[in-house]
Amino acid sequence: MMKAVATLKTKHISLWKRLAIFMAILGPGIITGSVDNDAGGITTYSVAGAVYGYNLLWTLVPAFFVLVVVQEMNARMGMVTGKGLADLIRENSALKATFFIFFAQLLTDIGNTTTEFAGVAGSMQVFGVSKYISVPLVGIGVWFLAVKGNYKMVERVFLIFSVFLLSYVVSAVMGKPHWTEIGHAMISPKIDMNLAYLVIVVGIIGTTIAPWMQFYMQSAVIEKGLKIKDYKYTLVDVVIGCVITVVVAFFIIVACGSTLYPNGVVIDEAKDAALSLKPFAGEFASMIFAFGLFVASVFSATILPVASSFYICQAFGFEAGIDKKFKEAPQFYGLYTFMLLISMIIILIPNAPLIKITLWSQVLNGMLLPVVLVSMMLLINKEEIMGKWVNKRWQNIVGWGTVSVLIILSTTLVVLNIFT
Amino acid sequence: MTSLKTFYLSRILGNKVVSEQRKAVGKLEDLVVDLNQVRPMVFALKVRFGSTSLLIDFAHVTIFKQERNYIVQCHQLVEVNIPKENALFLAKHVMDRQIIDIDGRKLERVNDLRMAYLSSGLFVVAVDVGVEGLLRRLSVAKPINQTLKPFGKALPSRLILWDDIAAISPSQDGIKLGKEQSKISTLHPSDLADILEDLDHKTRVAVFSELDEEKAADVLEEMDNETQVSMLESLSVEKAADVLEKMPADEVADILDDLEEDKANELLDEMEEEASEEVRELMEYPENTVGSLMSTEYFSFHETMTVENTILELRRIKPPSDTIYYLYVLDDQERLVATVSLRDLIVSDPQTTLHEIMNRKVIKVDDYDKIDSLGEIISKYNLIAIPVVDEEERMAGIVIIDDVVFTLMKARKRKVLKED
Repeated sequence: MMKAVATLKTKHISLWKRLAIFMAILGPGIITGSVDNDAGGITTYSVAGAVYGYNLLWTLVPAFFVLVVVQEMNARMGMVTGKGLADLIRENSALKATFFIFFAQLLTDIGNTTTEFAGVAGSMQVFGVSKYISVPLVGIGVWFLAVKGNYKMVERVFLIFSVFLLSYVVSAVMGKPHWTEIGHAMISPKIDMNLAYLVIVVGIIGTTIAPWMQFYMQSAVIEKGLKIKDYKYTLVDVVIGCVITVVVAFFIIVACGSTLYPNGVVIDEAKDAALSLKPFAGEFASMIFAFGLFVASVFSATILPVASSFYICQAFGFEAGIDKKFKEAPQFYGLYTFMLLISMIIILIPNAPLIKITLWSQVLNGMLLPVVLVSMMLLINKEEIMGKWVNKRWQNIVGWGTVSVLIILSTTLVVLNIFT
Repeated sequence: MTSLKTFYLSRILGNKVVSEQRKAVGKLEDLVVDLNQVRPMVFALKVRFGSTSLLIDFAHVTIFKQERNYIVQCHQLVEVNIPKENALFLAKHVMDRQIIDIDGRKLERVNDLRMAYLSSGLFVVAVDVGVEGLLRRLSVAKPINQTLKPFGKALPSRLILWDDIAAISPSQDGIKLGKEQSKISTLHPSDLADILEDLDHKTRVAVFSELDEEKAADVLEEMDNETQVSMLESLSVEKAADVLEKMPADEVADILDDLEEDKANELLDEMEEEASEEVRELMEYPENTVGSLMSTEYFSFHETMTVENTILELRRIKPPSDTIYYLYVLDDQERLVATVSLRDLIVSDPQTTLHEIMNRKVIKVDDYDKIDSLGEIISKYNLIAIPVVDEEERMAGIVIIDDVVFTLMKARKRKVLKED
């Protein structure tokens, strides 16, 4: 009887009201989806487009599904438990395992932050700004935004950022893509069976699902105060976020695939992609591409180190949060500042091997990802944590399937990176 | 073989449980204390035998140290049964979890528990929340301390006595944290509000629901807006309404304004009519008007009353400190005619009537005046509270300076952020 009344009530919610609820809930998924296309991601997609043309576009389809599956689990865990992934791991696994995860997380995130600053340095070089100017300036700006801003303001800035990422659509269209070829490549891809091809496939899927994003997604859901009753709307938010991720990735690959690939231009950095676009798609397209890279790098450089310090402090019981004063949370601010500083210093070393750094941070991500995903799968199946919201049978099949594929891919990537 | 006086829980968790003949019979999973006891005495062990775990009576167990190993010896395996709501499992419910440090007024994460043998049994005496505890669990505390020793330094250790903490285990295990709850109740409402804001929503609701209504109302008033809303959405309607009835009407109106309309109406309908009527009236004022900010709790008298009777009346009502300084004199139509200060009341002869000492030049504001205009008036006349009248000069309420300062500060902050 009660159930009948409840369904009746939902039916009465008007379209406008639903839209209003959705607008209020919107955010975590979309932001996470956008941060996903950080400097490392853009580099991978550009290289994929330049080397293989449209050939690798098919990888975005499985990447999309994997992303949705993983982030839905994060959102669900956040809404049901109200606890961050870091808290759940600390409270439910052996301390030594927790320590290992977060130590690896720290190393990985220093690598990732460095990659973001490499993106800042590279994109500003396209505009003729030296890295010795752009990196320190952005570093200081980022520090202030994270320390002095509040979540609502930061979220708003980020939502605007997300819109800027669409600039890649512009650069792609200016490269006059061949839509029939694109369609053909998506439907019946020609898959090569060699090492280099495999590396880039793993790279694309791996960069789309970075470990730290799982922590970020779950915290953002909690920060927003979302409860399980908001599940449906949050799911839509998650899906939109994932769509943004793959759409942006799609256009980056298309931009490079329509211009650099047919002309045989070889690149190994996102900055090179921007520069090489100039003769084929015009100066404007090149600048737009560089601008997108800049926005994405700043975006991720703002979120990543502060988020990472937050989880680590939470897991080990140090006070954390940007609403605390320095004196109240010295470990948190110390760690955050340390991460920013060390990343900036690495980038500012003259002739720093930026490509190697990007590559190695991807390897570290690849090593950590399976560990984080397995922890997630174990947690989300514990009834004392999730109650009736534990994974259903089909969710487990999809979940473990995804996790196993990712583990195989990540291990392959790691092994290939070490031995080649 | 050395008998132990004190030891850390982490030293014995996971150890083998041995029989009289030193044969391993099982693995120690947890220690259980009885929450009904005055002191937290261990009365059972949770031991894993193969695939099942059993609770074993602690009466036949001794723990001692031999050649650097901690031995848990069980002379007789006697199974015990305990009502679930009284059993606190130290490893499951306290270790690695967050607890409230009552003296320090904040959340801490437990790294270890300090146990002590007293004449009557084994007790928990303190929780370790320091770095040393963390490193001990990672088995690196000893080597680090030995390295630091020549420099006259040691790892900082931080123990908090069991009496000074409150465990806040998740409610789904059905534990009755009666005594812990009474410790929590000794916290100042604003400290408790800060702590609750940092907790996950499940635990937050569990702790909050156990507070008595007066305390709950005080705490709710101190919480930030988002937590208030999330709190009211999670509590049962009855409980929420009971708490709201204990709060000043203006605060209730403020909170309900942020709630979904249906939910707000549901709560208002559940509240006693007298209380909800007042709230409904306040909610009708637009956001930036004085009416939306004013409190309807003030004290008014008729001009014919004597000073003596007025003071007697005040003693009976015992008004809170922010409303006692000004008394308002109303005529038969409830119109505000004058004010009497507490000072005038005290220095006057008991038999004088209010008419003789009252001040007819009343500084007042209209209920539809803008909030911005209040700052000037308050600073100009040095007032603690200003009376508010409606268009027919009838007394509608008072605005207390604290509320004005708070609102203006909030507005200002918003402005500063916008200018950024």
